[in-house]
Amino acid sequence: MTSTLVTDPVIDELVAICGPDNVFADRSSRVNRARVPAPFPVHRWAEHVPDVVVLPTTAEQVSEVVKLANRHRIPVVPRAGGTGLTDGAVPLRHGIVVDVKLMNKILEIDLDDRTVTVQPGINMLKLNEELQQYGVIYPDDPASYPCSLVGGRIGTSGWSLIGGRYGHTRDLVISFQIVLPTGELIWVGDGGGRKVRKSSTGYQLKHLFMGHQGTLGIVTEAVLELVPRPEAEFAAFFSYPDYETAWRSTGALAKSGLATLAGVVLFDEWKLDYLRRDDEAYIPQPDDVRCVVATAMYGTTDEVRPGAKRLMRIGKDTGGAYLGDEISQGDWASRHDRYATPLHGRLRDGQVVPMSWHCEDASINWSQLPQVRREWHEIVARLGDNFRIFDDWGMFAYTNAAFKPWGDYLTEIDVGIWEQELDDAAWDAWVTAKRDIAAVAIAHGGSISACHGACRAGEVDLVPEELGGGWDVMKKVKRVLDPLNIMNPGKYLLDEAYE
Amino acid sequence: MSSTERTDGDNGTDGFVAEWRNGAYNCYSSGHKFCREVCPVMQVTRNEVHTPTAFHANVVAMEKGLLDIADVARDYVHCTGCGACELRCPNTLFTGDFYRFRTRTVQLVKAARALAVDQGIHQPGWQRWVEETSRQKSEPVLGAEVPVSQEHVRDWAAGLDLPIGGETILFCDCEGAFHRTSVPRAAAKLLQRAGVEFGLMREQWCCGGPAAEMGYVDRAREFAKHNVDDWRAVGARRIIVFDPHDYISFTEDYPSYFGDEYDFEIVLFVELLAELIRDGRLPLTHPVERTVTYHDACRLNKRKGIHAAPREVLRAIPGLTFKDVDHVTQWSYCSGAGGGLPIERPDLTAEISRRRVERAAALDVDTLVSACVWSERPLTEQRGALEIMDLLEIVALAAGLEDER
Repeated sequence: MTSTLVTDPVIDELVAICGPDNVFADRSSRVNRARVPAPFPVHRWAEHVPDVVVLPTTAEQVSEVVKLANRHRIPVVPRAGGTGLTDGAVPLRHGIVVDVKLMNKILEIDLDDRTVTVQPGINMLKLNEELQQYGVIYPDDPASYPCSLVGGRIGTSGWSLIGGRYGHTRDLVISFQIVLPTGELIWVGDGGGRKVRKSSTGYQLKHLFMGHQGTLGIVTEAVLELVPRPEAEFAAFFSYPDYETAWRSTGALAKSGLATLAGVVLFDEWKLDYLRRDDEAYIPQPDDVRCVVATAMYGTTDEVRPGAKRLMRIGKDTGGAYLGDEISQGDWASRHDRYATPLHGRLRDGQVVPMSWHCEDASINWSQLPQVRREWHEIVARLGDNFRIFDDWGMFAYTNAAFKPWGDYLTEIDVGIWEQELDDAAWDAWVTAKRDIAAVAIAHGGSISACHGACRAGEVDLVPEELGGGWDVMKKVKRVLDPLNIMNPGKYLLDEAYE
Repeated sequence: MSSTERTDGDNGTDGFVAEWRNGAYNCYSSGHKFCREVCPVMQVTRNEVHTPTAFHANVVAMEKGLLDIADVARDYVHCTGCGACELRCPNTLFTGDFYRFRTRTVQLVKAARALAVDQGIHQPGWQRWVEETSRQKSEPVLGAEVPVSQEHVRDWAAGLDLPIGGETILFCDCEGAFHRTSVPRAAAKLLQRAGVEFGLMREQWCCGGPAAEMGYVDRAREFAKHNVDDWRAVGARRIIVFDPHDYISFTEDYPSYFGDEYDFEIVLFVELLAELIRDGRLPLTHPVERTVTYHDACRLNKRKGIHAAPREVLRAIPGLTFKDVDHVTQWSYCSGAGGGLPIERPDLTAEISRRRVERAAALDVDTLVSACVWSERPLTEQRGALEIMDLLEIVALAAGLEDER
């Protein structure tokens, strides 16, 4: 289950670079850094175990490790939180895992120019605990807010639940230092100034080095945005008798022009059905509650209070019934915890079995949501027809744009999988379904992924189709920057860059 | 290179896997790791093999033949048994009420340690500790140079004129009996002042909790059996404990050893204390001019949900300025003293304590009050300008039973 490239002399070199306490070649250290959240194919765990793990503490150490890997042609896989949902941190070709969790320091808090400079191994919740005393926050708020790390947020170009108000990771990371695939250390941002948000100098390299899933380097330091800690939070959940009404209401809310509106989330009928039957935290609702729309606003009290009145009026005028303060405030407050709720799903005959949660995401324009929803549910229904271990847990659509909650939606379908029963045949069917789900997104003018990334089996096959000529550029960039294919090889079909 | 095939042949592993498999999959399949940033050990080591998720994933890996207990026994040392991970687990938070399900990482860690011991994999410090405890019947809390012994187990009570036996027994843990004797002395004096009748055991042994936590279950049972026999012999019905670790032993371990026969009422001192103060049976008349914050003892706050009583007691002390940090924020706090960590990884305990003291110091207080005698030694070693006091010590001041030093 390991490659033969990492020999004892290589380990000795790694020890010389990172120190004896920060290099791990034991089985436990390696096996535990192969896995990521489900659907990590547990029956293929052994195929993805790295040869050695290093926990560097400085950018220079990371740089030296990557240079060493180039000399010996050993794959390098960066790992931050390991919470990504597209396997970016899975070492497909074994090699060296560079785990950045020890690099978790806050290096500078600049309240004048509103930045915080951090190492990549810090978690957003922990960072905000420190920032609290200064009246500012770093508002990158993914579902994995309590556990994902800044480095991984950059490597995956993450999405934030309140991005409609504050922007997503790409908007909130002002500049960063990155070790290139050949080991050089560079800073990228908008232009050269580390704390400059907007520049017209040169190419816009910052975006190139975000969302590459570890194929273009390892972030070692980042300058992040600070925003005032919001005085007021207002959450309102509305219910609807049918999807059509809920969908139209979602559009109306999102297009309202309310500047404090941070996000609008649409729950479809399948999601409500699932919550009704199998979510223990579900607060019972009348049967005519078929869909739900959640909204949240942040800002100063002077803005949020009148804005909330307008929001409530729009919600009600477009057919929504307010679900009350308990659900609105409580459900929104528990948004991070809720994404990992289920322990179980159901077989077609109603039998409850332990299932784990799997989420397929895409970027879909508002106008296309109803049709995409129909087609996705059909795909998952077919999957369930053939394999009893799959259960449709419904869909969410979240406003997806930065600083303006309209236009397109992070659209996800949640599928329960009885993972203990997973075998090769079911896995293959799952991969096919993922490919089909991605194809629907592309066919409707969307993108395969809004937040996870698109390099898992199945979906990744359609990346060239989605990107078109951009895919050729992507391959050229990869080959120029990583001539020996050292960084996270096997991801994103980028082996094609070397053919 | 195929160095990862597990050598099979059952040696307890299969039973261990069978018992923990479902819980492990529940964790493995979600893999969300909210536990990670509240784990006091992980906050220091940042090493993924020390995370509650790894502790669960290892079970799946053992089932798949990828890992053996020998590969991971040392990893399982890295747990203080504080229970923060269980509280922070989405599986606990959102399905707990319906299924009465709770992610049981602390028990899993104990089971893994027991499996290791069963297979002859010992951590040298723990092995010595348990052997020494078996020999002296109390933990060797004074180090190799100063042996503890049954002869001195009641020295802390010198001059207090405490009876032996009776319906109510005050149980004194090893750290209190031999090291921080001011805590049991304060406990006894407070009970006397409030008119609570109680006695001491004829022969008190270690509660056995540390041995159980280190994986030496049979040894733990021996201690437990002795103590229960001693309680029965003197007709005890009610056991008062001030040490949260004892409280766990007596309310979780002992019932699992003895089943329905075990019918003692276990009283946590701080809860009794709150009641005595509330009922006016223990007047706190002496102002204590200190500015304090409270360290939520992990085994009370995180394991037992007890966080109100200590705060009630502190707020009843005249003269005291109490700067509180809420008990949920303190899920991620710890002294590092639990689960045998200080014996095998004193460096980690010291760092965990240092960080805890640093957080207290930032509140601009002069005293950090704890309700766990075991936390007080490592916290004191890192105390800087702060004083580390036990809740009972400070209440004894307020009751006029001791003078400010």
